[in-house]
Amino acid sequence: MEKTKSFKYHTQESNLGLSTTDRRLAYVRQASYNQSQLQEPPHTPISIFPDESAKPFLSRSISNIDTISHHDKYFEKLSCFRALRSGNRQMKRLFLLISLNVAYSTAELAIGLFTGRVGLVSDAFHLTFGCGLLTFSMFAMAASRQKPDFAYTYGYKRLEVLSAFTNALFLLFMSFSLAVEALHAFIQDESEHKHYLIVSAVTNLLVNLIGVWFFRNYARINLVYRNPEDMNYHSVCLHVLADSIRSAGLILASWFLSLGVQNAEVLCLGIVSVAVFMLVMPLFKVTGGILLQMAPPSIPSSALSKCWRQIVSREDVTEVSQARFWELVPGHVVGSLSLQVKKGVDDRPILQFVHGLYHDLGVQDLTVQIDYD
Amino acid sequence: MEGQTSQHGQIIEINVDVPERERSLGGNKICGEAPCGFADAATNSNDARERSASMRKLLMAVALCVVFMSIEVFGGIKANSLAILTDAAHLLSDVAAFAISLFSLWAAGWESNPRQSYGFFRVEILGALVSMQLIWLLAGILVYEAIVRLINETSEVNGFLMFLVAAFGLVVNIIMALVLGHDHGHGHGHGHDHHDHGMGHRHGSRITTDHHEEHPRGEHHDHCDEENPKTGHHHFLDKHHRTGEVLAEPLVDKPKFGPEQKKQQNINVRGAYLHVLGDSIQSIGVMIGGAIIWYKPEWKIVDLICTLIFSVIVLGTTFNMLRNILEVLMESTPREIDATKLEKGILEMEEVVAIHELHIWAITVGKVLLACHVKIQPEANADLVLDNVIDYIRREYNIIHVTIQIELRAQDVVLEATVLKLHLDDEFINELHDSVLSFAVLEKENAYGSVAINRTWDSSIGGKCRP
Repeated sequence: MEKTKSFKYHTQESNLGLSTTDRRLAYVRQASYNQSQLQEPPHTPISIFPDESAKPFLSRSISNIDTISHHDKYFEKLSCFRALRSGNRQMKRLFLLISLNVAYSTAELAIGLFTGRVGLVSDAFHLTFGCGLLTFSMFAMAASRQKPDFAYTYGYKRLEVLSAFTNALFLLFMSFSLAVEALHAFIQDESEHKHYLIVSAVTNLLVNLIGVWFFRNYARINLVYRNPEDMNYHSVCLHVLADSIRSAGLILASWFLSLGVQNAEVLCLGIVSVAVFMLVMPLFKVTGGILLQMAPPSIPSSALSKCWRQIVSREDVTEVSQARFWELVPGHVVGSLSLQVKKGVDDRPILQFVHGLYHDLGVQDLTVQIDYD
Repeated sequence: MEGQTSQHGQIIEINVDVPERERSLGGNKICGEAPCGFADAATNSNDARERSASMRKLLMAVALCVVFMSIEVFGGIKANSLAILTDAAHLLSDVAAFAISLFSLWAAGWESNPRQSYGFFRVEILGALVSMQLIWLLAGILVYEAIVRLINETSEVNGFLMFLVAAFGLVVNIIMALVLGHDHGHGHGHGHDHHDHGMGHRHGSRITTDHHEEHPRGEHHDHCDEENPKTGHHHFLDKHHRTGEVLAEPLVDKPKFGPEQKKQQNINVRGAYLHVLGDSIQSIGVMIGGAIIWYKPEWKIVDLICTLIFSVIVLGTTFNMLRNILEVLMESTPREIDATKLEKGILEMEEVVAIHELHIWAITVGKVLLACHVKIQPEANADLVLDNVIDYIRREYNIIHVTIQIELRAQDVVLEATVLKLHLDDEFINELHDSVLSFAVLEKENAYGSVAINRTWDSSIGGKCRP
C-alpha cells in the first residue's frame, strides 16, 4: 500500500521504515524484552511514526534535553508549513486537490453571482464547505507530526482521527441534506432542472474523480487502519468519492428528467443520499469509537480475558481489577491495570510477566499498579 | 539526576487502593468516578443530579422552542411568507441541537461496560462537537440565504417583515438563553473572557491554588480563585453550589472556558446556550439588515454585509468551546492543571528521583486522570512514597483517578547490555541509537530517563552516538 510506495522518502538516519529494518528491530525487541525492559521496546514507537520523513524527526538538539517552551511550539507550528511544502506525496496531492476545488468553487461563485443563478451559488457554497474540511484534513496531516510536549503528552496524532471524524460528520450532514432535498423535490414536485447545473456537475465530477484517483488506495468502505494517517486519507477519499457520487447523481437526475422519467430527481437524490450514508457510516463508527475511548477493536476481548485469566492464575496474584484499554490512534493502545498481590512477594517477575503479556497483544503503554494485600 | 545510569530495571508498583480505603468515605476511592465501575457514592449522585438538572433545563428549552416554532409555522403558512418559514426552520435547527445535547447528556449516564471501560462520558464531548458543527453549518446557510436574497432582486424582500420576524426570533432566543444560562440564586458572572488569550501562557500563569484539605473528598469543586490576572475577579464557590446548578453568564460574554471549577456549566448545556446565543446574534443582524432595507430598499447589499459580520461574530463565540472540546479529544493536559508545577511538586518530595511518562488527560470537562512513573531511591519505602505522591496529587490538583508506577533505580542497564551483545557495526548502532532515542523521546514527558540513556550510550560505545 502506501507504505511501500513512500519509501522514496526514507532517509537513512530518520525513520526506520518497517520493511528493511524490520527484522533488526524485531531482534532488538526480543533481546531487550528479556532484560526486563518494561517500557515499550524500540520497535513499537516506530510504527506510529509517520512514514514521511519531512522533518528529521528527531532533531536531537530539541528532543531530549530541553522541554519545548512555548515559542518553540509556535516555531514548530510554523515549521508545519514547511513540512507541507516538503510533505509526503499524499499531502501534496491533497494540496493540489484543495487548490483545484478552491479555484473551481470561486469561479462558480463568481459566475453565479454575476449571472444571478442561485443553483451555482449553492453549489459553490457546498464546495467551499468541502474545501474547508479538506484544508482541515491537510492541516491535521501537517500538525500531527509534532512531537509530544507538555500540553499534549500523547502527541498530536489524534488530530488525524479528529479530521477523519469531522469529514465523516460532514458527509453525514450532506447525506441528510440530500435526503431533505429529495423530500423537498418530492413534495414540491417541480422539475426545475436547470441546464447550467449540468456543466457544473460535470466539472465537479471530474475534479472529484481526480481526487479519487489520487487516493485510490483508500477507496474502500471498510478498511483496516494501521496508523492514523490511514484514517485521514481514507476520510479524504470518502469525501471526494461522496462528492462525485452526488455529482453523478445530479447528472443522472437531469438525464432522466430529459428522458421524461417522473420523479427522477427524487429517486436519484434519494439513492445518492442512501449511498453516501452507507459509505460513511463505518468510518464514522470507527473514528467515533476511538474518540469515545472505546476498547481497541483490534484487540479482541477474548484475548484480553485470556490475559486476565493468565494473570490471575499466578499464585501470588490475588486479584486483577480495573483493566482499561483505549486506543490513542489506530496502532497505539494505552492501558492501565491494577493488581493485588500477596504481601512480601517480589513484584518484578509479576510485572515483567504482565507487561510482556499485554505487549504481545499490542498494548504499548501499560501502567500496572500493584497493591500488596 | 544526570548521573543515573540505570534504566527501568526494578519496578515496584503500589496500588492506590490501600491508602484510599483508609481515607475514603466509602467505596473504592481509586476512582471516584463512574468509569471505574465502582462509583463513589457521593460523586455519582452529584453527577446524576447535575445531569438531571441540565436535562431538565434542556427539556424546558426544547419545549419552548417547539411551541414557538409551531406558532411561527402556523403564522407563516397563514401569511404565506417565506421569511417566517425560514425562521421556523432555524428554530427547528435549534431543536435539533437541543436534541443532540439531550441525547449526549442522557448517554453520558450510561453504565460502563467492558467495551467502554471509561463509561460514556465522552459522548458529551462528541455531542458538543456535533452541535458546534451544526452552528457552523447554520452560519454558512444563513450567509448563503443572504446571498440568495441579494441575487433575487425581486421586491419580495420585504424589509419590514424581515425586521418583525427577526425581532420575534430574538425575543424567543433571549427567553431560551435565560432558561439555559441562568439559574436563580447565584449570580456569579464570569465575564471578561475576551481577554483571555492565554494560548502561550497556559502552563505558566494558570496556577490553581486549592485549599481544600478540610473539605470532604466527595466534593470536587473546592478550587478557589484562578490566579489569572486578566480575569480580575475571583470566584469563591460555596459548597451548596455543588448540587448541579449552574452559574449565570452574562448574555453576550463568552462563557468562561477555564473549567477549573467544577461549577462550570455542563458542556452540553453550554453548547445549547451558544446555539441560542448565536441565533440571537444573527437575529440582531437580520433585524438591522431588515431595518435598513425597510428604510432604504435599494441598499440590499447591507443585508449581506450585516449577515456576514454577524456570522463571523457567532463563529467567534464558538471558538472557545471548540478549543475546549479539541483539547479534551486530543487527550491533552487540561488547562486547569499545571503539569510543570505538578511535576516539580512531586520531585520536591524526598526519595523521589525522577518522574517520567506523565500523562494527564481528561475524559470530559472536569474529570481528569493521571498516570505516571515515579523513580525513587532504592532504599525508600515505596508504599510511603506512593502514599505521599497520591496524597499530594489529590490534595493539590483534585485529580481523583491516579495511577502511579513506582520504580526503583536499579543496577542493570538494559539497553546498553543489549546492544553490546549484538556486536554490530557502527551504522547500525547509530540507527539503533536513533530508535532508542526516539522511543525515549516519545516518553519525553520527563527528560531524565532519556538523558540517562544517552549518557549510557556514550560511555559504553565510546561516544559514537552523541545526542
